[in-house]
Amino acid sequence: MKISDEQLIDKSAKWVISFFVASAGLWLLAAALLAYIAAAKLTNPFFLSSYEFFTYGKVKITQANAFVYGWGGNSIFAISIWIIARLSQAEVRGRIILIVSGFIWNIGITLGLLGILDGHMNSHEMLEMPKEIWPLLFISYSIITCLIIVLHRSRKLPDTIAPQWFILASILWFPALFIIAWHGLEINPSAGTVQSVLSMWFGQNLIWLWLTPFALGVAYYIIPSIIGKPIDKYYLAIFGFWCIAALAPWSVVHHLEGGPVPMWIPAIGTVMSIAMIFPIAVASTNFHATAFQDIDKVWSSLPLRFVIFGTLSYTLSSYIGVIFSLPAVAKLTQFSIINEFHFNQRVYGFFSMIVFGAVYHMLPKITGREITKAAKSFHFWTSALGVMMLLLAYLIGGLTHGVLAQQPSLDWANSVISSIQPYFLITEISFIILGFSQLVFVINIWKVLVPNPFEDSSRNKKFASKASIV
Amino acid sequence: MNNIFKFSFGILSTLGVAWLAFVVGARKQFGDLTPTSSFLNENGKSPEGSDLYPIAFSGAAQQGAEEYLSLGCATCHTQQVRLVDAGFDVERGWGKRPSVARDYILQNEVNIGNTRVGPDLANLGLREYSDEWLHQHLFEPQSLIKKSICPPNPFLYEIMETNTSGSIQISSEDNSTRFVKPKIIANRIVAYLQELRQDYELPEMSFVEEDEPVAIIPDIIEKTTAQLPSWLTDQISSGKEIYTKVGPGGGGCVSCHQPTGLGQPGVFPPLANSDWVLGDKERIIKISMHGLMGEIEVSGVKYNGVMIPPGVPPGSLTNQQIANVLTYIRNDWGNSASAVSPEEVANVRNSVKDRGQMQMWTVAELNSDK
Repeated sequence: MKISDEQLIDKSAKWVISFFVASAGLWLLAAALLAYIAAAKLTNPFFLSSYEFFTYGKVKITQANAFVYGWGGNSIFAISIWIIARLSQAEVRGRIILIVSGFIWNIGITLGLLGILDGHMNSHEMLEMPKEIWPLLFISYSIITCLIIVLHRSRKLPDTIAPQWFILASILWFPALFIIAWHGLEINPSAGTVQSVLSMWFGQNLIWLWLTPFALGVAYYIIPSIIGKPIDKYYLAIFGFWCIAALAPWSVVHHLEGGPVPMWIPAIGTVMSIAMIFPIAVASTNFHATAFQDIDKVWSSLPLRFVIFGTLSYTLSSYIGVIFSLPAVAKLTQFSIINEFHFNQRVYGFFSMIVFGAVYHMLPKITGREITKAAKSFHFWTSALGVMMLLLAYLIGGLTHGVLAQQPSLDWANSVISSIQPYFLITEISFIILGFSQLVFVINIWKVLVPNPFEDSSRNKKFASKASIV
Repeated sequence: MNNIFKFSFGILSTLGVAWLAFVVGARKQFGDLTPTSSFLNENGKSPEGSDLYPIAFSGAAQQGAEEYLSLGCATCHTQQVRLVDAGFDVERGWGKRPSVARDYILQNEVNIGNTRVGPDLANLGLREYSDEWLHQHLFEPQSLIKKSICPPNPFLYEIMETNTSGSIQISSEDNSTRFVKPKIIANRIVAYLQELRQDYELPEMSFVEEDEPVAIIPDIIEKTTAQLPSWLTDQISSGKEIYTKVGPGGGGCVSCHQPTGLGQPGVFPPLANSDWVLGDKERIIKISMHGLMGEIEVSGVKYNGVMIPPGVPPGSLTNQQIANVLTYIRNDWGNSASAVSPEEVANVRNSVKDRGQMQMWTVAELNSDK
């Protein structure tokens, strides 16, 4: 049997990617459980209240970290290794080192999150894991990054395309951001709110320069490869890329409006947030003009349906984000639960949906086993429902929260917070739906990664014989 | 774009430019602020011997800040009062002025936060909650504020069998009563919360002036006088009415000395923690009958103005009313001193019965009579 180059590449990456996808799935479940606990504590403050491990603040922060570093980090490794290998037409090398580093990364996060729950939280946004853990994470991340760069440099064609720019930029920006933040916060710290500016800058940039460009890169790869047509108006992509590179690091600090920092800091954030409409428009044109040439395909191919859900969510909510950065609106919503809307929209509505699509696209290719369409479809609809309920609750709840908080005569606990309690209940239900849907996802992927030896053995044998020829 | 090194250089330099602004630039601009006095002299320096602000936390509060951080309180509570045109924080009573960068320079952990599911805590120490109240709130917020969604922290307390010394009584919603003893962590957190106060002015930010004095006195009375005898509570609550009421039968005190008893900086002296209020009774009785004019030094600050005899019309307060209002001001805003009886007022009134109704006292007269 003849084996194509693609299959050789996929086979070389099989164990590495399986490892990262499997760990990402477990982190996703852990994060879903924590998200539910945090949401339940808001509706019933006595829930688990007698355990010091589970104060609301600790659970909430652990959840965000498990989601971003555990689920986000592992899925970024898995998918970027696969896409970069495919685009370089080169086999993955240093597999053992990749898996060992990935193992260290996961151990590091586990220890870090236990550290937070045990009361060793750090005060900086998205750097809350204890200080001792970070060198471990940084080194393992750097090794993986280096191997991805080596893989990229072994490519057969010298020209690079959009998915490569976005993915490589994303994996390079994270260590750069980390070094900046670590230097400014730990090695050479300064006093007072200078720290707060830097920690907010890091925390927001992690979403804007790590998760976002990665997911955009994946969309740039998956959409044309499933649709079978080149990206429409591709010449705009390079403009969009450099717009994000130049504007995003400036646009993230508008949350400090009116706060104890010099005025120029939030002001520049606001201006640059508005300028972000250019890269958002570019990405949205590229994706949707390409995908909607063949709407039936978007509907029938589940990986593509997931990705398009993500890109639509990106476009829509990025525009909402621009509106919410205008000073007149920011004044209303600044400290409200609308912050949760922005975070969850980025990580669930956009990043995760695209990752789900990419994993469903990738796994059958590297393992040779298909995931049943019904299972994927069930996952899609529960995710879509959960995400939309969650985001609407945070959006409307956040606006209510913000508007009521601006009326000094209203009592805080009895009027302001009790009016947004119904929305907390909706988020709790959404997190149950999402948790359920993510469980289905993890079962789906684990079923193809670790097949049941007693079931369907004929097909497994066929695959095994296929592999043995190589 | 095709050479990975040039590409990396490009993407890292766009990041580097933002780094120059937000890290290097910000640090240069406000990274080396130092404590300073409320007002600067002509040379832009702090006057000799003046108090410098902000003040560093005490040791217990410093440790409390760490506990506050590690329990994740900052997830729901901010510690920043926004500028007046950016929000209504000052109107809500969350601070006397917007917070500025200098307020935070002595804090090891800066917990300014970004979400307010709970109220802002930048000035919690100014809201005059007793330690006991804060402990009750930490143990079980719902025992004080029924609808609060703040999670209880029973693990910071030891539950006692009986009411022993140092234990705190918790009356839950279901009318059950418990006694708890704070562990050391809880005491540190309370020390920290009580020291959260931006109650000083800085050269870059002065107190926000209220447009019209709000004639609402915070309901502290119920809290601090729970164990007092009823004649005294009656006297205090009647005194509070006189203090607040601007109109016939009232004293009108509130219009200058403010509901907070802090007066207005530089114009009207404070009553809270003032030697004049807490000290010799005869002097304040005299002031309450005839008013005061000329220079007076209160808590180390000099004031120069006129206080017309209290009451509407001026000087119309009866002996009983003067006794009540003085007892009130001697027992609110953290003040605690003995009550003033109507008989004491009557004695003083007899001793100065020749004095004209509008003949205001001066500080020199008051001190020489003594």
